[in-house]
Amino acid sequence: MTPRSTPARWEFLALRLWHAALAGGFVVAYVTADEDTYNMHVFSGYWVVTALALRLAMALAGSDRGPLGLPRPSLAAIRDKLAGKPGRNPLFVWMAALLLPALALGGLSGIVADLLPIAEDLHEGLAEAGLWLALAHAAIIAWIFQGRRIREVLAGRLARASLLALLAVLGAARVQAGEVFSAERGEALYRSVNAASPDFPSCATCHTADPTRPGRHAKTGRAILPMAVSANPKRFTDAAKVEERFERDCKTVLGRACTAQEKGDYITFLRGK
Amino acid sequence: MNAINRLLLALGLAVTALPASADSVRPVTDPLTLQACGECHMAFQPAFLPARSWTRMMDGLADHFGDNAAMAADKAAHVRKVLVDGAADTGGGKVGAKVMRRLGPDATPLRITETPGFLRKHRLPASEWARPEVVTKSNCPACHVRAEKGDYED
Repeated sequence: MTPRSTPARWEFLALRLWHAALAGGFVVAYVTADEDTYNMHVFSGYWVVTALALRLAMALAGSDRGPLGLPRPSLAAIRDKLAGKPGRNPLFVWMAALLLPALALGGLSGIVADLLPIAEDLHEGLAEAGLWLALAHAAIIAWIFQGRRIREVLAGRLARASLLALLAVLGAARVQAGEVFSAERGEALYRSVNAASPDFPSCATCHTADPTRPGRHAKTGRAILPMAVSANPKRFTDAAKVEERFERDCKTVLGRACTAQEKGDYITFLRGK
Repeated sequence: MNAINRLLLALGLAVTALPASADSVRPVTDPLTLQACGECHMAFQPAFLPARSWTRMMDGLADHFGDNAAMAADKAAHVRKVLVDGAADTGGGKVGAKVMRRLGPDATPLRITETPGFLRKHRLPASEWARPEVVTKSNCPACHVRAEKGDYED
Protein backbone atom coordinates (compact mmCIF):
# COMPACT_ATOMS: atom_id res chain seq x y z
CA MET A 1 0.00 0.00 0.00
CA THR A 2 2.93 2.31 0.64
CA PRO A 3 4.66 2.83 -2.70
CA ARG A 4 7.79 4.37 -1.16
CA SER A 5 8.26 1.91 1.66
CA THR A 6 11.82 0.93 2.51
CA PRO A 7 12.92 -2.53 1.35
CA ALA A 8 12.04 -5.33 3.75
CA ARG A 9 14.42 -8.03 4.95
CA TRP A 10 12.46 -10.70 3.10
CA GLU A 11 13.25 -9.00 -0.19
CA PHE A 12 17.00 -9.38 0.26
CA LEU A 13 16.50 -13.00 1.39
CA ALA A 14 14.23 -13.69 -1.61
CA LEU A 15 16.80 -12.19 -3.97
CA ARG A 16 19.55 -14.40 -2.54
CA LEU A 17 17.42 -17.55 -2.74
CA TRP A 18 16.47 -16.69 -6.30
CA HIS A 19 20.12 -16.25 -7.29
CA ALA A 20 20.92 -19.64 -5.73
CA ALA A 21 18.06 -21.31 -7.61
CA LEU A 22 19.02 -19.72 -10.92
CA ALA A 23 22.75 -20.38 -10.58
CA GLY A 24 22.13 -23.96 -9.45
CA GLY A 25 19.82 -24.64 -12.41
CA PHE A 26 22.24 -23.04 -14.82
CA VAL A 27 25.23 -25.04 -13.58
CA VAL A 28 23.31 -28.33 -13.75
CA ALA A 29 22.11 -27.48 -17.27
CA TYR A 30 25.66 -26.59 -18.29
CA VAL A 31 27.28 -29.82 -17.12
CA THR A 32 24.47 -32.11 -18.34
CA ALA A 33 24.50 -30.85 -21.93
CA ASP A 34 25.73 -34.24 -23.24
CA GLU A 35 23.28 -36.66 -24.85
CA ASP A 36 23.52 -39.27 -22.06
CA THR A 37 22.14 -36.88 -19.43
CA TYR A 38 19.62 -35.28 -21.72
CA ASN A 39 16.60 -35.64 -19.40
CA MET A 40 18.32 -33.80 -16.59
CA HIS A 41 19.49 -31.15 -19.03
CA VAL A 42 15.95 -30.51 -20.20
CA PHE A 43 14.64 -30.42 -16.63
CA SER A 44 17.26 -27.93 -15.44
CA GLY A 45 16.73 -25.84 -18.58
CA TYR A 46 13.03 -25.50 -17.76
CA TRP A 47 14.06 -24.74 -14.16
CA VAL A 48 16.16 -21.81 -15.41
CA VAL A 49 13.37 -20.47 -17.62
CA THR A 50 10.90 -20.76 -14.72
CA ALA A 51 13.30 -18.92 -12.41
CA LEU A 52 13.65 -16.11 -14.94
CA ALA A 53 9.87 -15.76 -15.19
CA LEU A 54 9.65 -15.81 -11.39
CA ARG A 55 12.12 -12.92 -11.25
CA LEU A 56 9.72 -10.71 -13.20
CA ALA A 57 6.93 -11.63 -10.77
CA MET A 58 9.19 -10.79 -7.82
CA ALA A 59 9.88 -7.36 -9.31
CA LEU A 60 6.15 -6.65 -9.12
CA ALA A 61 5.88 -7.94 -5.52
CA GLY A 62 8.86 -6.02 -4.15
CA SER A 63 8.79 -2.54 -2.68
CA ASP A 64 9.33 0.45 -4.90
CA ARG A 65 13.06 1.16 -5.29
CA GLY A 66 13.82 -1.98 -3.29
CA PRO A 67 16.32 -4.69 -4.28
CA LEU A 68 13.72 -6.60 -6.31
CA GLY A 69 12.63 -3.64 -8.42
CA LEU A 70 13.51 -3.59 -12.12
CA PRO A 71 13.14 0.02 -13.24
CA ARG A 72 14.16 1.14 -16.71
CA PRO A 73 17.96 1.50 -16.78
CA SER A 74 19.16 5.04 -17.40
CA LEU A 75 22.47 6.71 -18.10
CA ALA A 76 21.43 9.70 -15.98
CA ALA A 77 21.34 7.45 -12.90
CA ILE A 78 24.96 6.42 -13.54
CA ARG A 79 25.96 10.06 -13.82
CA ASP A 80 24.16 10.81 -10.53
CA LYS A 81 25.89 7.89 -8.84
CA LEU A 82 29.31 9.04 -10.06
CA ALA A 83 28.47 12.49 -8.69
CA GLY A 84 28.09 10.88 -5.27
CA LYS A 85 24.32 10.49 -5.04
CA PRO A 86 23.45 7.82 -2.46
CA GLY A 87 21.14 4.89 -3.13
CA ARG A 88 21.05 1.67 -5.09
CA ASN A 89 23.88 1.33 -7.56
CA PRO A 90 22.40 1.84 -11.09
CA LEU A 91 24.76 -0.86 -12.37
CA PHE A 92 22.44 -3.45 -10.78
CA VAL A 93 19.60 -2.46 -13.10
CA TRP A 94 21.86 -2.40 -16.13
CA MET A 95 23.17 -5.86 -15.36
CA ALA A 96 19.63 -7.16 -14.87
CA ALA A 97 18.57 -5.61 -18.18
CA LEU A 98 21.43 -7.42 -19.92
CA LEU A 99 21.46 -10.73 -18.07
CA LEU A 100 17.76 -11.55 -17.82
CA PRO A 101 17.09 -11.34 -21.61
CA ALA A 102 20.41 -13.06 -22.40
CA LEU A 103 19.70 -16.01 -20.11
CA ALA A 104 16.07 -16.10 -21.27
CA LEU A 105 17.27 -16.35 -24.89
CA GLY A 106 19.55 -19.21 -23.88
CA GLY A 107 16.70 -21.04 -22.16
CA LEU A 108 14.06 -20.43 -24.81
CA SER A 109 16.45 -21.42 -27.60
CA GLY A 110 16.89 -24.69 -25.68
CA ILE A 111 13.16 -25.34 -25.86
CA VAL A 112 13.31 -24.65 -29.59
CA ALA A 113 16.32 -26.94 -30.00
CA ASP A 114 14.44 -29.72 -28.20
CA LEU A 115 11.90 -29.62 -31.06
CA LEU A 116 14.17 -28.57 -33.95
CA PRO A 117 17.68 -30.09 -33.73
CA ILE A 118 18.90 -27.49 -36.23
CA ALA A 119 18.77 -24.83 -33.47
CA GLU A 120 21.22 -26.77 -31.27
CA ASP A 121 24.28 -24.76 -32.28
CA LEU A 122 22.45 -21.48 -31.67
CA HIS A 123 21.37 -22.71 -28.20
CA GLU A 124 24.91 -23.75 -27.33
CA GLY A 125 26.31 -20.37 -28.37
CA LEU A 126 23.70 -18.42 -26.41
CA ALA A 127 24.20 -20.56 -23.30
CA GLU A 128 27.95 -20.09 -23.52
CA ALA A 129 27.50 -16.32 -23.79
CA GLY A 130 25.14 -16.45 -20.79
CA LEU A 131 27.81 -18.18 -18.71
CA TRP A 132 30.39 -15.49 -19.45
CA LEU A 133 27.90 -12.74 -18.76
CA ALA A 134 27.04 -14.35 -15.40
CA LEU A 135 30.73 -14.62 -14.47
CA ALA A 136 31.28 -10.97 -15.39
CA HIS A 137 28.21 -10.10 -13.31
CA ALA A 138 29.69 -11.94 -10.29
CA ALA A 139 33.01 -10.15 -10.74
CA ILE A 140 31.33 -6.73 -10.86
CA ILE A 141 29.27 -7.49 -7.75
CA ALA A 142 32.39 -8.66 -5.91
CA TRP A 143 34.13 -5.43 -6.87
CA ILE A 144 31.21 -3.25 -5.75
CA PHE A 145 30.93 -4.89 -2.35
CA GLN A 146 34.47 -6.01 -1.56
CA GLY A 147 36.53 -3.73 -3.79
CA ARG A 148 36.37 -0.83 -1.38
CA ARG A 149 37.86 -2.83 1.45
CA ILE A 150 40.52 -4.33 -0.82
CA ARG A 151 41.43 -0.88 -2.09
CA GLU A 152 41.71 0.44 1.47
CA VAL A 153 43.94 -2.44 2.60
CA LEU A 154 46.17 -2.05 -0.47
CA ALA A 155 46.44 1.73 0.06
CA GLY A 156 47.32 1.14 3.73
CA ARG A 157 50.05 -1.37 2.81
CA LEU A 158 51.48 1.02 0.26
CA ALA A 159 51.52 3.90 2.76
CA ARG A 160 53.27 1.80 5.43
CA ALA A 161 55.79 0.43 2.94
CA SER A 162 56.71 3.91 1.71
CA LEU A 163 57.01 5.11 5.32
CA LEU A 164 59.42 2.27 6.10
CA ALA A 165 61.37 2.96 2.91
CA LEU A 166 61.74 6.60 3.95
CA LEU A 167 62.92 5.59 7.43
CA ALA A 168 65.38 3.12 5.88
CA VAL A 169 66.88 5.94 3.81
CA LEU A 170 67.08 8.23 6.87
CA GLY A 171 68.66 5.49 8.96
CA ALA A 172 70.92 4.20 6.19
CA ALA A 173 74.13 4.98 8.06
CA ARG A 174 73.15 2.62 10.88
CA VAL A 175 71.67 -0.13 8.79
CA GLN A 176 73.60 -3.40 8.90
CA ALA A 177 74.08 -5.45 5.77
CA GLY A 178 71.20 -7.84 5.18
CA GLU A 179 68.55 -6.98 7.70
CA VAL A 180 67.13 -3.45 7.63
CA PHE A 181 64.49 -3.34 10.36
CA SER A 182 63.90 -5.90 13.05
CA ALA A 183 60.56 -6.82 14.60
CA GLU A 184 62.42 -8.22 17.64
CA ARG A 185 64.16 -4.90 18.31
CA GLY A 186 60.81 -3.13 17.78
CA GLU A 187 59.14 -5.40 20.31
CA ALA A 188 61.93 -4.83 22.82
CA LEU A 189 61.44 -1.08 22.41
CA TYR A 190 57.65 -1.42 22.78
CA ARG A 191 58.01 -3.39 26.03
CA SER A 192 61.00 -1.49 27.46
CA VAL A 193 60.46 0.12 30.86
CA ASN A 194 62.08 3.56 31.10
CA ALA A 195 62.81 6.10 33.80
CA ALA A 196 62.11 9.33 31.91
CA SER A 197 58.48 9.63 33.04
CA PRO A 198 56.87 8.06 36.09
CA ASP A 199 53.44 8.34 34.47
CA PHE A 200 54.44 6.79 31.14
CA PRO A 201 57.29 4.30 31.74
CA SER A 202 56.54 2.19 28.65
CA CYS A 203 54.63 2.14 25.34
CA ALA A 204 52.62 -0.66 26.91
CA THR A 205 51.48 1.69 29.70
CA CYS A 206 48.81 3.13 27.41
CA HIS A 207 48.82 0.63 24.54
CA THR A 208 48.68 -2.44 26.87
CA ALA A 209 50.97 -5.46 26.84
CA ASP A 210 48.99 -6.89 23.92
CA PRO A 211 49.13 -4.41 21.01
CA THR A 212 46.22 -6.10 19.26
CA ARG A 213 43.96 -4.81 22.05
CA PRO A 214 42.66 -1.24 22.40
CA GLY A 215 44.57 0.97 24.83
CA ARG A 216 43.71 3.83 27.15
CA HIS A 217 45.52 7.12 27.75
CA ALA A 218 46.98 6.75 31.23
CA LYS A 219 46.17 10.33 32.22
CA THR A 220 43.04 11.39 30.33
CA GLY A 221 41.30 8.02 30.11
CA ARG A 222 40.75 8.49 26.37
CA ALA A 223 40.36 5.22 24.45
CA ILE A 224 43.16 4.43 21.94
CA LEU A 225 42.69 2.16 18.93
CA PRO A 226 44.95 -0.93 18.81
CA MET A 227 48.55 -0.44 17.68
CA ALA A 228 48.78 -3.74 15.79
CA VAL A 229 48.01 -3.38 12.09
CA SER A 230 46.10 -6.68 12.14
CA ALA A 231 43.61 -5.15 14.58
CA ASN A 232 43.64 -1.61 13.16
CA PRO A 233 44.40 -1.47 9.40
CA LYS A 234 44.67 2.34 9.43
CA ARG A 235 47.70 2.25 11.76
CA PHE A 236 50.88 3.79 10.26
CA THR A 237 49.14 4.94 7.06
CA ASP A 238 49.16 8.70 7.78
CA ALA A 239 52.80 9.82 7.68
CA ALA A 240 52.14 13.20 9.36
CA LYS A 241 50.29 11.59 12.25
CA VAL A 242 52.96 8.90 12.67
CA GLU A 243 55.69 11.55 12.81
CA GLU A 244 53.73 13.62 15.35
CA ARG A 245 53.17 10.60 17.61
CA PHE A 246 56.83 9.55 17.50
CA GLU A 247 57.87 13.16 18.15
CA ARG A 248 55.68 13.37 21.27
CA ASP A 249 55.75 9.86 22.66
CA CYS A 250 59.46 9.17 22.26
CA LYS A 251 60.24 12.33 24.23
CA THR A 252 57.64 11.45 26.86
CA VAL A 253 58.49 7.78 27.33
CA LEU A 254 62.20 7.66 26.50
CA GLY A 255 63.09 11.25 27.34
CA ARG A 256 64.65 11.70 23.87
CA ALA A 257 63.77 11.57 20.18
CA CYS A 258 63.70 8.18 18.43
CA THR A 259 66.12 7.35 15.63
CA ALA A 260 64.92 6.36 12.17
CA GLN A 261 66.19 2.86 12.99
CA GLU A 262 64.01 2.64 16.10
CA LYS A 263 60.95 3.98 14.30
CA GLY A 264 61.42 1.44 11.51
CA ASP A 265 61.87 -1.40 14.00
CA TYR A 266 58.76 -0.30 15.90
CA ILE A 267 56.56 -0.17 12.79
CA THR A 268 57.98 -3.47 11.56
CA PHE A 269 57.05 -5.14 14.87
CA LEU A 270 53.47 -3.80 14.86
CA ARG A 271 52.96 -4.41 11.14
CA GLY A 272 53.65 -8.10 11.68
CA LYS A 273 51.60 -8.29 14.85
CA MET B 1 -7.22 24.10 17.88
CA ASN B 2 -7.63 27.83 18.21
CA ALA B 3 -4.84 30.39 18.20
CA ILE B 4 -4.67 30.85 22.00
CA ASN B 5 -4.44 27.12 22.65
CA ARG B 6 -1.71 26.84 20.09
CA LEU B 7 0.17 29.71 21.71
CA LEU B 8 -0.13 28.08 25.15
CA LEU B 9 1.15 24.78 23.78
CA ALA B 10 4.11 26.47 22.14
CA LEU B 11 4.88 28.31 25.38
CA GLY B 12 4.67 25.08 27.37
CA LEU B 13 7.01 23.28 25.00
CA ALA B 14 9.44 26.19 25.10
CA VAL B 15 9.53 26.10 28.91
CA THR B 16 10.22 22.36 29.03
CA ALA B 17 13.06 22.88 26.55
CA LEU B 18 14.73 25.55 28.69
CA PRO B 19 16.82 23.40 31.05
CA ALA B 20 18.34 21.56 28.10
CA SER B 21 19.42 24.71 26.33
CA ALA B 22 20.94 26.06 29.56
CA ASP B 23 23.31 23.07 29.72
CA SER B 24 24.47 23.09 26.15
CA VAL B 25 27.43 24.75 24.52
CA ARG B 26 28.47 25.17 20.89
CA PRO B 27 30.41 22.00 19.98
CA VAL B 28 33.73 21.85 18.15
CA THR B 29 33.01 21.06 14.50
CA ASP B 30 36.33 21.84 12.83
CA PRO B 31 37.72 18.42 11.78
CA LEU B 32 41.41 19.30 12.24
CA THR B 33 40.77 20.65 15.75
CA LEU B 34 38.65 17.63 16.66
CA GLN B 35 41.45 15.36 15.50
CA ALA B 36 44.34 17.31 17.05
CA CYS B 37 42.78 17.68 20.52
CA GLY B 38 40.78 14.46 20.37
CA GLU B 39 43.90 12.41 19.84
CA CYS B 40 44.53 12.36 23.60
CA HIS B 41 41.42 13.78 25.26
CA MET B 42 37.97 15.05 24.46
CA ALA B 43 38.12 18.20 22.28
CA PHE B 44 36.85 20.63 24.93
CA GLN B 45 34.59 23.41 23.70
CA PRO B 46 36.55 26.68 23.43
CA ALA B 47 33.71 28.56 25.19
CA PHE B 48 34.91 27.20 28.54
CA LEU B 49 38.04 29.38 28.62
CA PRO B 50 38.80 32.98 27.60
CA ALA B 51 40.87 33.66 24.47
CA ARG B 52 43.90 34.63 26.58
CA SER B 53 43.89 31.16 28.15
CA TRP B 54 43.83 29.42 24.76
CA THR B 55 46.67 31.63 23.54
CA ARG B 56 48.73 30.68 26.60
CA MET B 57 47.82 27.01 26.09
CA MET B 58 48.90 26.99 22.44
CA ASP B 59 52.14 28.78 23.32
CA GLY B 60 53.13 25.93 25.62
CA LEU B 61 52.24 22.73 23.76
CA ALA B 62 55.63 21.14 24.40
CA ASP B 63 54.67 21.00 28.08
CA HIS B 64 50.91 20.42 27.95
CA PHE B 65 50.05 19.58 31.57
CA GLY B 66 53.29 17.61 31.73
CA ASP B 67 52.82 15.93 28.34
CA ASN B 68 54.41 16.78 25.04
CA ALA B 69 51.61 17.87 22.68
CA ALA B 70 53.82 19.51 20.05
CA MET B 71 52.35 19.57 16.55
CA ALA B 72 53.26 20.93 13.12
CA ALA B 73 53.30 24.76 13.08
CA ASP B 74 50.54 25.18 10.47
CA LYS B 75 48.31 22.74 12.32
CA ALA B 76 48.91 24.54 15.63
CA ALA B 77 48.10 27.90 14.03
CA HIS B 78 44.82 26.55 12.65
CA VAL B 79 43.79 25.04 16.00
CA ARG B 80 44.78 28.23 17.80
CA LYS B 81 42.49 30.28 15.56
CA VAL B 82 39.53 27.93 16.10
CA LEU B 83 40.00 28.07 19.88
CA VAL B 84 40.52 31.83 20.09
CA ASP B 85 37.55 32.54 17.78
CA GLY B 86 35.23 30.37 19.86
CA ALA B 87 36.54 31.39 23.28
CA ALA B 88 34.36 32.45 26.23
CA ASP B 89 34.90 36.17 25.54
CA THR B 90 34.78 36.00 21.72
CA GLY B 91 32.39 33.39 20.27
CA GLY B 92 31.35 31.55 23.42
CA GLY B 93 27.69 32.56 23.49
CA LYS B 94 25.70 32.26 26.72
CA VAL B 95 27.97 29.73 28.37
CA GLY B 96 31.00 31.86 27.53
CA ALA B 97 29.39 34.92 29.10
CA LYS B 98 28.76 32.94 32.31
CA VAL B 99 32.36 31.73 32.38
CA MET B 100 33.62 35.31 31.98
CA ARG B 101 31.29 36.74 34.64
CA ARG B 102 32.75 34.48 37.34
CA LEU B 103 36.34 34.79 36.22
CA GLY B 104 38.71 37.44 37.62
CA PRO B 105 39.66 40.12 35.08
CA ASP B 106 43.30 38.99 35.03
CA ALA B 107 42.81 35.27 35.58
CA THR B 108 44.24 33.13 32.78
CA PRO B 109 43.34 29.58 33.82
CA LEU B 110 44.63 26.64 31.79
CA ARG B 111 42.47 23.99 33.37
CA ILE B 112 38.73 24.22 32.71
CA THR B 113 38.27 22.19 35.90
CA GLU B 114 39.74 25.07 37.92
CA THR B 115 37.45 27.81 36.60
CA PRO B 116 34.84 29.10 39.07
CA GLY B 117 32.13 28.20 36.57
CA PHE B 118 33.18 24.55 36.56
CA LEU B 119 33.69 24.30 40.32
CA ARG B 120 30.29 25.82 41.03
CA LYS B 121 28.56 23.09 39.00
CA HIS B 122 30.69 20.17 40.21
CA ARG B 123 30.34 20.05 43.99
CA LEU B 124 30.20 16.28 44.02
CA PRO B 125 31.12 13.69 46.65
CA ALA B 126 34.62 12.24 46.28
CA SER B 127 33.09 8.84 45.56
CA GLU B 128 31.76 10.19 42.24
CA TRP B 129 35.23 11.31 41.15
CA ALA B 130 36.67 7.97 42.27
CA ARG B 131 34.57 5.93 39.84
CA PRO B 132 37.00 3.86 37.74
CA GLU B 133 35.78 5.16 34.36
CA VAL B 134 36.31 8.80 35.41
CA VAL B 135 40.14 8.60 35.74
CA THR B 136 40.41 12.40 35.83
CA LYS B 137 38.12 15.41 36.33
CA SER B 138 38.69 16.45 32.72
CA ASN B 139 37.09 13.26 31.40
CA CYS B 140 33.72 14.92 30.71
CA PRO B 141 32.17 12.08 28.66
CA ALA B 142 32.59 9.66 31.58
CA CYS B 143 29.47 11.29 33.11
CA HIS B 144 28.11 13.62 30.39
CA VAL B 145 27.85 11.04 27.64
CA ARG B 146 27.01 13.61 24.94
CA ALA B 147 29.62 16.13 26.13
CA GLU B 148 31.46 16.11 22.81
CA LYS B 149 28.28 17.24 21.08
CA GLY B 150 28.10 20.15 23.52
CA ASP B 151 25.33 18.63 25.63
CA TYR B 152 26.18 18.69 29.35
CA GLU B 153 22.77 17.64 30.60
CA ASP B 154 23.40 15.51 33.73
